[in-house]
Amino acid sequence: MSVIEVKNLQKTFRVKKKESGLKGSLKSIIKPTYRQIEAVKGIDFTVSKGEMIAFIGPNGAGKSTTIKMLTGILYPDSGDISILGLDPKKERKKLAYEIGTVFGQKEQLWTHLTPYDNFKFFGAIYDIPEEVVERKIQELKEVFELEEFLNTPVRNLSLGQRIRCEIVASLIHEPKILFLDEPTIGLDPVVKENIRSLIKRMNKEYKTTIFLTSHDVGDIEKLCKRVIIINHGELVLDDTMENLKYHYLNKKMVEAKMKEKVNLEEEEGITILKDKGYNLKIEVDTTLKSVADALKLLNPDNIVDINISNIPLENIITEIYKKEEEK
Amino acid sequence: MRKYLFIYKSEVMSSLQYLANILFGFLGYFIMLFIFFQLWKYLYSDPDSVMNGYTMAEMVWYVIMTEILWSTLGGKNLCQKISNDVKSGNIAYNLCKPYSYIHYALFSHLGSITIKAVLYTLLGLVLGFCFLGEFPNISFLSILLWIISSIGSLAISSLFVIFIGLFSFKIEDANPFYWVYSKFILILGTIFPIEFFPKILRPILRYSPIFATTYGPANLFVHFSFQNAFRVLIAQFIYLGIAYVLCYFVYQKGVKKLNVNGG
Repeated sequence: MSVIEVKNLQKTFRVKKKESGLKGSLKSIIKPTYRQIEAVKGIDFTVSKGEMIAFIGPNGAGKSTTIKMLTGILYPDSGDISILGLDPKKERKKLAYEIGTVFGQKEQLWTHLTPYDNFKFFGAIYDIPEEVVERKIQELKEVFELEEFLNTPVRNLSLGQRIRCEIVASLIHEPKILFLDEPTIGLDPVVKENIRSLIKRMNKEYKTTIFLTSHDVGDIEKLCKRVIIINHGELVLDDTMENLKYHYLNKKMVEAKMKEKVNLEEEEGITILKDKGYNLKIEVDTTLKSVADALKLLNPDNIVDINISNIPLENIITEIYKKEEEK
Repeated sequence: MRKYLFIYKSEVMSSLQYLANILFGFLGYFIMLFIFFQLWKYLYSDPDSVMNGYTMAEMVWYVIMTEILWSTLGGKNLCQKISNDVKSGNIAYNLCKPYSYIHYALFSHLGSITIKAVLYTLLGLVLGFCFLGEFPNISFLSILLWIISSIGSLAISSLFVIFIGLFSFKIEDANPFYWVYSKFILILGTIFPIEFFPKILRPILRYSPIFATTYGPANLFVHFSFQNAFRVLIAQFIYLGIAYVLCYFVYQKGVKKLNVNGG
Protein backbone atom coordinates (compact mmCIF):
# COMPACT_ATOMS: atom_id res chain seq x y z
CA MET A 1 0.00 0.00 0.00
CA SER A 2 1.45 3.36 -1.08
CA VAL A 3 1.51 6.11 1.50
CA ILE A 4 3.29 8.62 -0.74
CA GLU A 5 2.40 9.04 -4.40
CA VAL A 6 4.07 11.68 -6.52
CA LYS A 7 3.18 12.25 -10.16
CA ASN A 8 4.88 14.67 -12.53
CA LEU A 9 5.81 17.07 -9.73
CA GLN A 10 7.21 20.41 -10.87
CA LYS A 11 8.44 23.54 -9.18
CA THR A 12 10.08 26.59 -10.71
CA PHE A 13 11.48 29.50 -8.73
CA ARG A 14 11.70 33.04 -10.04
CA VAL A 15 14.95 34.63 -8.92
CA LYS A 16 15.83 38.29 -9.34
CA LYS A 17 18.83 38.85 -11.58
CA LYS A 18 21.28 41.57 -10.62
CA GLU A 19 24.30 42.79 -12.49
CA SER A 20 27.37 43.61 -10.43
CA GLY A 21 28.25 47.08 -9.16
CA LEU A 22 26.26 50.20 -8.35
CA LYS A 23 24.97 50.53 -11.90
CA GLY A 24 23.63 46.99 -11.76
CA SER A 25 21.95 47.67 -8.41
CA LEU A 26 20.21 50.79 -9.75
CA LYS A 27 19.17 48.97 -12.91
CA SER A 28 17.65 46.14 -10.89
CA ILE A 29 15.48 48.67 -9.01
CA ILE A 30 14.26 50.50 -12.13
CA LYS A 31 13.90 47.54 -14.43
CA PRO A 32 14.17 44.28 -12.51
CA THR A 33 14.82 41.16 -14.52
CA TYR A 34 14.18 37.64 -13.35
CA ARG A 35 15.41 34.20 -14.30
CA GLN A 36 13.52 30.97 -13.90
CA ILE A 37 15.13 28.12 -12.00
CA GLU A 38 13.53 24.76 -12.54
CA ALA A 39 14.12 23.15 -9.15
CA VAL A 40 11.98 20.05 -9.75
CA LYS A 41 11.22 18.88 -13.29
CA GLY A 42 8.37 16.41 -13.29
CA ILE A 43 9.35 13.62 -10.92
CA ASP A 44 7.33 10.47 -10.15
CA PHE A 45 7.69 7.95 -7.34
CA THR A 46 5.74 6.07 -4.72
CA VAL A 47 6.62 4.97 -1.20
CA SER A 48 5.00 2.04 0.57
CA LYS A 49 3.88 1.87 4.18
CA GLY A 50 6.71 1.12 6.63
CA GLU A 51 9.48 1.73 4.07
CA MET A 52 12.68 3.53 5.00
CA ILE A 53 13.68 5.46 1.94
CA ALA A 54 16.70 7.63 1.23
CA PHE A 55 16.04 10.60 -1.00
CA ILE A 56 19.43 11.91 -1.96
CA GLY A 57 21.21 14.20 -4.36
CA PRO A 58 23.97 16.81 -4.49
CA ASN A 59 23.36 20.36 -3.24
CA GLY A 60 20.81 22.18 -5.36
CA ALA A 61 19.45 18.93 -6.82
CA GLY A 62 15.89 19.67 -5.71
CA LYS A 63 15.56 17.26 -2.78
CA SER A 64 14.73 19.86 -0.13
CA THR A 65 12.27 21.54 -2.47
CA THR A 66 10.61 18.15 -3.00
CA ILE A 67 10.43 17.38 0.73
CA LYS A 68 8.96 20.83 1.34
CA MET A 69 6.28 20.22 -1.28
CA LEU A 70 5.51 16.81 0.23
CA THR A 71 5.06 18.31 3.68
CA GLY A 72 2.93 21.23 2.48
CA ILE A 73 5.52 23.94 3.05
CA LEU A 74 5.80 24.84 -0.64
CA TYR A 75 3.12 24.89 -3.31
CA PRO A 76 4.03 22.87 -6.42
CA ASP A 77 3.55 24.52 -9.82
CA SER A 78 2.05 21.37 -11.26
CA GLY A 79 1.76 17.66 -10.67
CA ASP A 80 0.00 15.59 -8.05
CA ILE A 81 1.02 14.65 -4.53
CA SER A 82 -0.90 12.28 -2.34
CA ILE A 83 0.34 11.70 1.20
CA LEU A 84 -1.82 9.13 2.98
CA GLY A 85 -4.54 10.06 0.50
CA LEU A 86 -4.27 13.77 1.34
CA ASP A 87 -3.24 16.62 -0.94
CA PRO A 88 -0.65 18.75 0.94
CA LYS A 89 -1.66 21.80 -1.08
CA LYS A 90 -5.30 21.69 -0.09
CA GLU A 91 -5.30 19.71 3.16
CA ARG A 92 -2.20 21.03 4.84
CA LYS A 93 -3.62 21.16 8.37
CA LYS A 94 -5.15 17.70 8.15
CA LEU A 95 -1.87 16.36 6.83
CA ALA A 96 0.07 17.98 9.68
CA TYR A 97 -1.65 15.61 12.14
CA GLU A 98 -0.47 12.59 10.14
CA ILE A 99 3.17 13.42 9.46
CA GLY A 100 6.21 14.39 11.49
CA THR A 101 9.10 16.52 10.29
CA VAL A 102 12.65 16.98 11.51
CA PHE A 103 14.77 19.52 9.69
CA GLY A 104 18.30 19.05 11.01
CA GLN A 105 19.19 22.67 10.35
CA LYS A 106 16.02 24.18 11.80
CA GLU A 107 15.15 24.12 15.47
CA GLN A 108 11.54 23.44 16.24
CA LEU A 109 11.94 23.20 20.00
CA TRP A 110 11.58 26.20 22.30
CA THR A 111 15.09 26.67 23.58
CA HIS A 112 14.11 28.26 26.91
CA LEU A 113 11.85 25.38 27.84
CA THR A 114 12.86 21.91 28.94
CA PRO A 115 12.34 18.93 26.59
CA TYR A 116 9.47 17.83 28.88
CA ASP A 117 7.66 21.18 28.52
CA ASN A 118 8.36 21.14 24.79
CA PHE A 119 6.79 17.69 24.44
CA LYS A 120 3.75 18.87 26.40
CA PHE A 121 3.59 21.85 24.06
CA PHE A 122 3.69 19.63 20.97
CA GLY A 123 1.04 17.41 22.53
CA ALA A 124 -1.18 20.47 22.92
CA ILE A 125 -0.72 21.72 19.36
CA TYR A 126 -1.67 18.28 18.06
CA ASP A 127 -4.78 18.28 20.30
CA ILE A 128 -3.71 15.17 22.23
CA PRO A 129 -5.32 14.69 25.66
CA GLU A 130 -2.88 15.44 28.49
CA GLU A 131 -2.87 11.95 29.97
CA VAL A 132 -2.06 10.48 26.53
CA VAL A 133 0.81 12.96 26.08
CA GLU A 134 2.14 12.07 29.51
CA ARG A 135 2.06 8.36 28.66
CA LYS A 136 3.72 8.98 25.31
CA ILE A 137 6.49 11.07 26.90
CA GLN A 138 7.21 8.29 29.39
CA GLU A 139 7.34 5.75 26.57
CA LEU A 140 9.57 7.82 24.27
CA LYS A 141 11.76 8.81 27.20
CA GLU A 142 12.68 5.14 27.59
CA VAL A 143 13.16 4.46 23.87
CA PHE A 144 15.28 7.55 23.23
CA GLU A 145 17.05 7.51 26.63
CA LEU A 146 16.12 11.06 27.61
CA GLU A 147 15.84 10.58 31.38
CA GLU A 148 19.12 12.35 32.13
CA PHE A 149 18.20 15.68 30.47
CA LEU A 150 14.40 15.66 30.28
CA ASN A 151 14.20 18.63 32.64
CA THR A 152 17.18 20.63 31.37
CA PRO A 153 16.41 23.69 29.21
CA VAL A 154 16.95 22.85 25.53
CA ARG A 155 19.51 25.65 25.14
CA ASN A 156 21.80 23.78 27.55
CA LEU A 157 21.67 20.48 25.66
CA SER A 158 24.38 19.12 23.36
CA LEU A 159 23.58 18.92 19.64
CA GLY A 160 23.09 15.15 19.83
CA GLN A 161 20.71 15.45 22.78
CA ARG A 162 18.80 18.21 21.01
CA ILE A 163 18.38 16.18 17.82
CA ARG A 164 17.08 13.27 19.90
CA CYS A 165 14.54 15.63 21.47
CA GLU A 166 13.65 17.05 18.04
CA ILE A 167 12.85 13.54 16.82
CA VAL A 168 10.82 12.76 19.95
CA ALA A 169 8.90 16.04 19.54
CA SER A 170 7.98 15.00 16.02
CA LEU A 171 6.78 11.60 17.27
CA ILE A 172 4.48 12.76 20.07
CA HIS A 173 1.43 12.65 17.79
CA GLU A 174 2.39 9.20 16.42
CA PRO A 175 2.87 10.25 12.79
CA LYS A 176 2.47 7.66 10.11
CA ILE A 177 5.27 9.18 8.03
CA LEU A 178 8.38 10.89 9.34
CA PHE A 179 10.28 13.25 7.06
CA LEU A 180 13.88 13.59 8.19
CA ASP A 181 15.89 16.27 6.42
CA GLU A 182 19.57 15.72 7.30
CA PRO A 183 18.91 14.62 10.87
CA THR A 184 22.53 13.78 11.67
CA ILE A 185 24.16 16.93 10.30
CA GLY A 186 26.97 18.17 12.54
CA LEU A 187 26.91 15.16 14.89
CA ASP A 188 29.94 13.12 15.93
CA PRO A 189 30.17 9.47 14.73
CA VAL A 190 29.07 7.97 18.07
CA VAL A 191 25.97 10.17 18.35
CA LYS A 192 25.20 9.60 14.65
CA GLU A 193 25.23 5.87 15.26
CA ASN A 194 22.98 6.32 18.27
CA ILE A 195 20.46 8.40 16.30
CA ARG A 196 20.49 5.86 13.47
CA SER A 197 19.74 2.95 15.77
CA LEU A 198 16.91 4.95 17.36
CA ILE A 199 15.41 5.72 13.94
CA LYS A 200 15.64 2.02 13.05
CA ARG A 201 13.98 1.06 16.31
CA MET A 202 11.23 3.60 15.73
CA ASN A 203 10.56 2.19 12.27
CA LYS A 204 10.44 -1.32 13.69
CA GLU A 205 8.35 -0.59 16.78
CA TYR A 206 5.90 1.98 15.43
CA LYS A 207 5.94 0.94 11.75
CA THR A 208 6.62 4.57 10.86
CA THR A 209 7.47 5.22 7.21
CA ILE A 210 10.77 7.09 7.06
CA PHE A 211 11.57 9.53 4.26
CA LEU A 212 15.17 10.55 4.75
CA THR A 213 17.39 13.07 3.01
CA SER A 214 21.04 13.13 3.98
CA HIS A 215 24.48 13.77 2.59
CA ASP A 216 25.84 11.22 5.02
CA VAL A 217 26.31 7.91 3.25
CA GLY A 218 26.34 6.16 6.63
CA ASP A 219 22.75 7.28 7.27
CA ILE A 220 21.65 5.99 3.89
CA GLU A 221 23.57 2.73 4.04
CA LYS A 222 22.63 1.81 7.57
CA LEU A 223 19.01 2.89 7.53
CA CYS A 224 17.47 2.55 4.10
CA LYS A 225 16.62 -0.37 1.89
CA ARG A 226 15.68 1.82 -1.03
CA VAL A 227 17.30 4.88 -2.51
CA ILE A 228 16.02 7.58 -4.83
CA ILE A 229 18.62 9.85 -6.38
CA ILE A 230 17.64 13.23 -7.71
CA ASN A 231 19.86 15.59 -9.68
CA HIS A 232 19.04 18.80 -11.56
CA GLY A 233 15.42 18.32 -10.51
CA GLU A 234 15.09 14.92 -12.20
CA LEU A 235 15.05 11.40 -10.81
CA VAL A 236 18.19 9.63 -11.91
CA LEU A 237 17.80 6.43 -9.93
CA ASP A 238 15.12 4.64 -7.95
CA ASP A 239 16.39 1.26 -6.81
CA THR A 240 17.00 -0.95 -3.80
CA MET A 241 20.15 -0.38 -1.82
CA GLU A 242 21.23 -3.94 -2.63
CA ASN A 243 20.98 -3.37 -6.39
CA LEU A 244 22.73 -0.08 -6.09
CA LYS A 245 25.63 -1.55 -4.14
CA TYR A 246 26.13 -4.82 -5.94
CA HIS A 247 24.80 -4.44 -9.46
CA TYR A 248 24.80 -0.84 -10.45
CA LEU A 249 28.52 -0.55 -10.94
CA ASN A 250 29.57 -4.22 -10.71
CA LYS A 251 32.89 -3.31 -9.28
CA LYS A 252 35.04 -4.75 -6.49
CA MET A 253 37.98 -3.22 -4.81
CA VAL A 254 41.09 -5.36 -4.21
CA GLU A 255 43.83 -4.18 -1.88
CA ALA A 256 46.88 -6.44 -1.83
CA LYS A 257 50.32 -6.51 -0.23
CA MET A 258 52.71 -8.28 -2.64
CA LYS A 259 56.03 -10.10 -2.34
CA GLU A 260 57.03 -8.93 -5.80
CA LYS A 261 55.90 -6.06 -7.99
CA VAL A 262 53.19 -6.87 -10.55
CA ASN A 263 52.39 -4.97 -13.71
CA LEU A 264 48.65 -4.85 -14.36
CA GLU A 265 48.63 -1.90 -16.75
CA GLU A 266 46.54 -2.30 -19.88
CA GLU A 267 44.69 -5.28 -18.37
CA GLU A 268 41.05 -5.12 -19.43
CA GLY A 269 38.59 -4.68 -16.56
CA ILE A 270 41.21 -3.56 -14.07
CA THR A 271 41.80 0.01 -12.97
CA ILE A 272 44.81 0.73 -10.80
CA LEU A 273 43.77 3.06 -8.01
CA LYS A 274 47.04 3.04 -6.08
CA ASP A 275 50.40 1.42 -6.86
CA LYS A 276 53.11 1.89 -4.25
CA GLY A 277 55.38 -0.89 -5.39
CA TYR A 278 54.48 -3.76 -3.09
CA ASN A 279 51.13 -2.27 -2.03
CA LEU A 280 48.48 -2.32 -4.70
CA LYS A 281 44.89 -1.10 -4.85
CA ILE A 282 42.87 -2.03 -7.91
CA GLU A 283 39.26 -1.85 -9.03
CA VAL A 284 37.87 -4.86 -10.86
CA ASP A 285 34.96 -4.45 -13.26
CA THR A 286 33.27 -7.84 -12.84
CA THR A 287 31.37 -7.50 -16.11
CA LEU A 288 34.72 -7.67 -17.93
CA LYS A 289 36.85 -9.74 -15.60
CA SER A 290 35.98 -11.98 -12.67
CA VAL A 291 37.66 -11.45 -9.31
CA ALA A 292 39.18 -14.94 -9.62
CA ASP A 293 40.85 -13.95 -12.91
CA ALA A 294 42.13 -10.76 -11.36
CA LEU A 295 43.65 -12.77 -8.48
CA LYS A 296 45.29 -15.12 -10.96
CA LEU A 297 46.99 -12.11 -12.54
CA LEU A 298 48.31 -11.13 -9.14
CA ASN A 299 49.54 -14.72 -8.61
CA PRO A 300 48.23 -16.11 -5.28
CA ASP A 301 51.76 -17.26 -4.24
CA ASN A 302 52.90 -13.67 -4.56
CA ILE A 303 50.25 -12.30 -2.20
CA VAL A 304 51.22 -11.55 1.44
CA ASP A 305 47.90 -10.04 2.48
CA ILE A 306 44.67 -9.27 0.63
CA ASN A 307 41.38 -7.47 1.19
CA ILE A 308 38.48 -7.67 -1.27
CA SER A 309 35.62 -5.27 -0.71
CA ASN A 310 32.69 -3.67 -2.40
CA ILE A 311 33.11 -0.18 -3.74
CA PRO A 312 32.10 2.23 -0.95
CA LEU A 313 28.58 3.52 -1.43
CA GLU A 314 29.95 7.05 -1.35
CA ASN A 315 32.01 6.35 -4.51
CA ILE A 316 29.01 4.79 -6.23
CA ILE A 317 26.83 7.79 -5.48
CA THR A 318 29.55 10.23 -6.53
CA GLU A 319 29.92 8.24 -9.75
CA ILE A 320 26.18 8.52 -10.42
CA TYR A 321 26.22 12.27 -9.72
CA LYS A 322 29.21 12.68 -12.06
CA LYS A 323 27.62 10.66 -14.84
CA GLU A 324 24.60 12.91 -14.67
CA GLU A 325 26.78 16.01 -14.79
CA GLU A 326 28.47 14.69 -17.97
CA LYS A 327 25.15 14.10 -19.76
CA MET B 1 -8.03 27.01 21.51
CA ARG B 2 -6.17 24.79 24.01
CA LYS B 3 -3.10 24.80 21.80
CA TYR B 4 -2.99 28.60 21.67
CA LEU B 5 -3.41 28.85 25.43
CA PHE B 6 -0.51 26.43 25.73
CA ILE B 7 1.57 28.59 23.37
CA TYR B 8 0.63 31.57 25.55
CA LYS B 9 1.58 29.68 28.72
CA SER B 10 4.87 28.49 27.22
CA GLU B 11 5.81 32.06 26.33
CA VAL B 12 4.94 33.29 29.82
CA MET B 13 7.28 30.59 31.19
CA SER B 14 9.92 31.53 28.65
CA SER B 15 9.69 35.26 29.44
CA LEU B 16 10.48 34.58 33.10
CA GLN B 17 14.05 33.98 31.93
CA TYR B 18 14.26 37.64 30.94
CA LEU B 19 13.08 39.33 34.11
CA ALA B 20 16.31 41.33 34.33
CA ASN B 21 15.61 42.85 30.89
CA ILE B 22 12.16 43.95 32.02
CA LEU B 23 13.49 45.47 35.22
CA PHE B 24 16.12 47.37 33.24
CA GLY B 25 13.37 48.76 30.99
CA PHE B 26 11.80 50.31 34.11
CA LEU B 27 14.46 53.00 34.09
CA GLY B 28 13.38 54.40 30.71
CA TYR B 29 9.74 54.15 31.76
CA PHE B 30 10.42 56.07 34.97
CA ILE B 31 12.33 58.82 33.15
CA MET B 32 9.54 59.18 30.57
CA LEU B 33 6.84 59.51 33.23
CA PHE B 34 8.91 61.88 35.31
CA ILE B 35 9.40 64.21 32.32
CA PHE B 36 5.69 64.21 31.54
CA PHE B 37 4.80 64.78 35.16
CA GLN B 38 7.06 67.85 35.24
CA LEU B 39 5.67 69.05 31.90
CA TRP B 40 2.05 68.86 33.00
CA LYS B 41 2.91 70.37 36.39
CA TYR B 42 4.36 73.35 34.54
CA LEU B 43 1.45 73.64 32.08
CA TYR B 44 -1.16 73.36 34.81
CA SER B 45 -0.16 76.35 36.91
CA ASP B 46 -3.22 75.60 39.05
CA PRO B 47 -3.52 71.81 39.62
CA ASP B 48 -7.32 72.11 39.98
CA SER B 49 -7.81 73.86 36.65
CA VAL B 50 -9.28 71.84 33.80
CA MET B 51 -7.70 71.72 30.34
CA ASN B 52 -9.79 70.19 27.53
CA GLY B 53 -11.75 68.19 30.12
CA TYR B 54 -8.71 66.93 32.07
CA THR B 55 -7.37 68.01 35.45
CA MET B 56 -3.62 67.69 35.99
CA ALA B 57 -4.05 64.44 37.93
CA GLU B 58 -6.25 62.98 35.18
CA MET B 59 -3.74 64.05 32.57
CA VAL B 60 -0.87 62.34 34.43
CA TRP B 61 -2.92 59.16 34.95
CA TYR B 62 -3.84 59.21 31.25
CA VAL B 63 -0.18 59.29 30.24
CA ILE B 64 0.70 56.61 32.81
CA MET B 65 -1.96 54.30 31.38
CA THR B 66 -1.02 54.86 27.72
CA GLU B 67 2.66 54.47 28.60
CA ILE B 68 1.90 51.13 30.31
CA LEU B 69 0.30 49.92 27.06
CA TRP B 70 3.04 51.39 24.90
CA SER B 71 5.94 50.01 26.96
CA THR B 72 4.31 46.62 27.35
CA LEU B 73 3.56 46.11 23.66
CA GLY B 74 7.19 45.89 22.48
CA GLY B 75 6.00 46.45 18.93
CA LYS B 76 9.45 46.93 17.45
CA ASN B 77 10.59 43.47 18.55
CA LEU B 78 7.39 41.85 17.32
CA CYS B 79 7.62 43.53 13.90
CA GLN B 80 11.26 42.49 13.60
CA LYS B 81 10.44 38.91 14.61
CA ILE B 82 7.65 38.56 12.04
CA SER B 83 9.77 40.24 9.39
CA ASN B 84 12.69 37.90 10.13
CA ASP B 85 10.39 34.86 10.10
CA VAL B 86 9.25 35.82 6.60
CA LYS B 87 12.67 36.75 5.25
CA SER B 88 14.51 33.73 6.67
CA GLY B 89 11.77 31.33 5.55
CA ASN B 90 11.11 30.27 9.17
CA ILE B 91 7.45 31.05 8.63
CA ALA B 92 7.32 28.13 6.18
CA TYR B 93 8.22 25.60 8.85
CA ASN B 94 5.08 26.55 10.75
CA LEU B 95 3.03 25.45 7.76
CA CYS B 96 3.55 21.78 8.52
CA LYS B 97 2.27 22.22 12.06
CA PRO B 98 -1.45 22.12 12.79
CA TYR B 99 -1.88 25.71 13.91
CA SER B 100 -2.46 29.10 12.37
CA TYR B 101 0.65 31.26 12.17
CA ILE B 102 -1.31 34.42 12.97
CA HIS B 103 -2.85 32.87 16.10
CA TYR B 104 0.56 31.50 17.01
CA ALA B 105 2.27 34.89 16.58
CA LEU B 106 -0.49 36.67 18.52
CA PHE B 107 -0.67 34.29 21.47
CA SER B 108 3.08 33.84 21.71
CA HIS B 109 3.55 37.63 21.74
CA LEU B 110 0.81 38.17 24.31
CA GLY B 111 2.46 35.45 26.41
CA SER B 112 5.85 37.10 26.14
CA ILE B 113 4.50 40.47 27.38
CA THR B 114 2.20 39.27 30.17
CA ILE B 115 4.75 39.48 32.99
CA LYS B 116 5.91 42.82 31.60
CA ALA B 117 2.31 44.10 31.58
CA VAL B 118 1.78 43.16 35.23
CA LEU B 119 5.07 44.68 36.36
CA TYR B 120 4.62 47.89 34.35
CA THR B 121 1.09 48.31 35.67
CA LEU B 122 2.26 47.93 39.26
CA LEU B 123 5.13 50.34 38.67
CA GLY B 124 2.81 52.81 36.91
CA LEU B 125 0.37 52.77 39.83
CA VAL B 126 3.16 53.25 42.37
CA LEU B 127 4.73 56.10 40.38
CA GLY B 128 1.35 57.77 39.86
CA PHE B 129 0.67 57.60 43.57
CA CYS B 130 4.15 58.95 44.39
CA PHE B 131 3.77 61.87 41.92
CA LEU B 132 0.18 62.79 42.78
CA GLY B 133 -0.33 61.43 46.29
CA GLU B 134 -3.68 59.79 45.43
CA PHE B 135 -5.43 57.34 43.11
CA PRO B 136 -8.30 58.39 40.85
CA ASN B 137 -11.83 57.47 41.85
CA ILE B 138 -11.95 53.84 40.78
CA SER B 139 -14.17 50.88 41.60
CA PHE B 140 -13.65 47.15 41.26
CA LEU B 141 -15.85 47.08 38.14
CA SER B 142 -14.03 49.99 36.49
CA ILE B 143 -10.71 48.29 37.16
CA LEU B 144 -12.01 45.04 35.70
CA LEU B 145 -13.28 46.78 32.54
CA TRP B 146 -10.00 48.69 32.26
CA ILE B 147 -8.08 45.39 32.45
CA ILE B 148 -10.32 43.82 29.77
CA SER B 149 -9.97 46.83 27.49
CA SER B 150 -6.18 46.87 28.03
CA ILE B 151 -5.95 43.20 27.00
CA GLY B 152 -8.09 44.07 23.96
CA SER B 153 -5.82 47.02 23.19
CA LEU B 154 -2.67 44.86 23.33
CA ALA B 155 -4.27 42.17 21.15
CA ILE B 156 -5.33 44.72 18.49
CA SER B 157 -1.97 46.51 18.55
CA SER B 158 -0.15 43.16 18.27
CA LEU B 159 -2.27 42.18 15.26
CA PHE B 160 -1.58 45.51 13.56
CA VAL B 161 2.14 45.04 14.14
CA ILE B 162 1.94 41.45 12.81
CA PHE B 163 0.14 42.85 9.76
CA ILE B 164 2.98 45.37 9.21
CA GLY B 165 5.60 42.64 9.79
CA LEU B 166 3.93 40.50 7.13
CA PHE B 167 4.63 43.27 4.58
CA SER B 168 8.02 41.53 4.35
CA PHE B 169 6.40 39.10 1.93
CA LYS B 170 6.38 41.99 -0.56
CA ILE B 171 9.18 44.30 0.55
CA GLU B 172 12.60 43.62 1.96
CA ASP B 173 12.20 45.43 5.29
CA ALA B 174 8.93 46.21 7.07
CA ASN B 175 10.54 48.16 9.90
CA PRO B 176 10.21 51.64 8.29
CA PHE B 177 6.43 51.05 8.06
CA TYR B 178 6.37 50.14 11.73
CA TRP B 179 8.36 53.29 12.54
CA VAL B 180 5.76 55.52 10.83
CA TYR B 181 2.87 53.61 12.45
CA SER B 182 4.40 53.80 15.92
CA LYS B 183 5.00 57.54 15.66
CA PHE B 184 1.36 58.11 14.71
CA ILE B 185 0.19 56.10 17.71
CA LEU B 186 2.69 57.80 20.01
CA ILE B 187 1.78 61.36 19.04
CA LEU B 188 -1.93 61.00 18.32
CA GLY B 189 -2.96 58.84 21.24
CA THR B 190 -0.23 58.10 23.75
CA ILE B 191 1.14 61.47 24.81
CA PHE B 192 -2.01 63.56 24.37
CA PRO B 193 -5.67 62.58 24.58
CA ILE B 194 -7.84 63.12 21.50
CA GLU B 195 -9.43 66.23 23.12
CA PHE B 196 -6.11 68.08 22.76
CA PHE B 197 -6.22 67.93 18.95
CA PRO B 198 -8.01 70.35 16.57
CA LYS B 199 -11.77 69.83 16.33
CA ILE B 200 -11.52 68.74 12.70
CA LEU B 201 -9.19 65.86 13.62
CA ARG B 202 -11.13 64.54 16.61
CA PRO B 203 -13.87 62.57 14.77
CA ILE B 204 -11.22 60.92 12.59
CA LEU B 205 -9.20 59.94 15.66
CA ARG B 206 -12.32 58.65 17.43
CA TYR B 207 -12.97 56.22 14.58
CA SER B 208 -9.31 55.32 14.10
CA PRO B 209 -7.49 52.37 15.78
CA ILE B 210 -6.11 54.94 18.24
CA PHE B 211 -9.48 54.96 20.01
CA ALA B 212 -9.39 51.17 20.46
CA THR B 213 -5.71 50.84 21.29
CA THR B 214 -4.62 53.80 23.44
CA TYR B 215 -7.14 56.58 24.01
CA GLY B 216 -10.09 54.33 24.83
CA PRO B 217 -8.61 52.20 27.64
CA ALA B 218 -6.66 55.12 29.18
CA ASN B 219 -9.67 57.41 29.09
CA LEU B 220 -11.71 54.65 30.69
CA PHE B 221 -9.31 54.71 33.65
CA VAL B 222 -9.62 58.46 34.20
CA HIS B 223 -13.22 59.10 33.05
CA PHE B 224 -15.00 55.84 33.74
CA SER B 225 -18.63 55.42 32.70
CA PHE B 226 -20.51 52.33 31.51
CA GLN B 227 -21.40 54.12 28.29
CA ASN B 228 -17.72 54.88 27.75
CA ALA B 229 -16.75 51.26 28.53
CA PHE B 230 -19.39 49.95 26.13
CA ARG B 231 -18.12 52.20 23.33
CA VAL B 232 -14.50 51.18 23.87
CA LEU B 233 -15.28 47.45 23.96
CA ILE B 234 -17.45 47.65 20.81
CA ALA B 235 -14.70 49.57 18.98
CA GLN B 236 -12.16 46.99 20.12
CA PHE B 237 -14.34 44.14 18.96
CA ILE B 238 -14.63 45.71 15.50
CA TYR B 239 -10.93 46.54 15.25
CA LEU B 240 -9.93 43.08 16.43
CA GLY B 241 -11.91 41.69 13.48
CA ILE B 242 -10.45 44.21 11.02
CA ALA B 243 -6.86 43.62 12.17
CA TYR B 244 -7.28 39.85 12.02
CA VAL B 245 -8.79 39.92 8.51
CA LEU B 246 -5.93 42.16 7.30
CA CYS B 247 -3.33 39.75 8.74
CA TYR B 248 -5.13 36.74 7.31
CA PHE B 249 -5.36 38.29 3.86
CA VAL B 250 -1.67 39.30 3.67
CA TYR B 251 -0.56 35.95 5.12
CA GLN B 252 -2.63 33.83 2.72
CA LYS B 253 -1.37 35.81 -0.25
CA GLY B 254 2.21 35.66 1.02
CA VAL B 255 2.51 31.93 1.72
CA LYS B 256 1.34 31.05 -1.77
CA LYS B 257 4.35 32.84 -3.18
CA LEU B 258 6.68 31.70 -0.45
CA ASN B 259 10.16 30.94 -1.64
CA VAL B 260 12.18 28.89 0.81
CA ASN B 261 15.84 28.33 0.16
CA GLY B 262 16.61 24.67 -0.41
CA GLY B 263 19.25 22.62 1.35
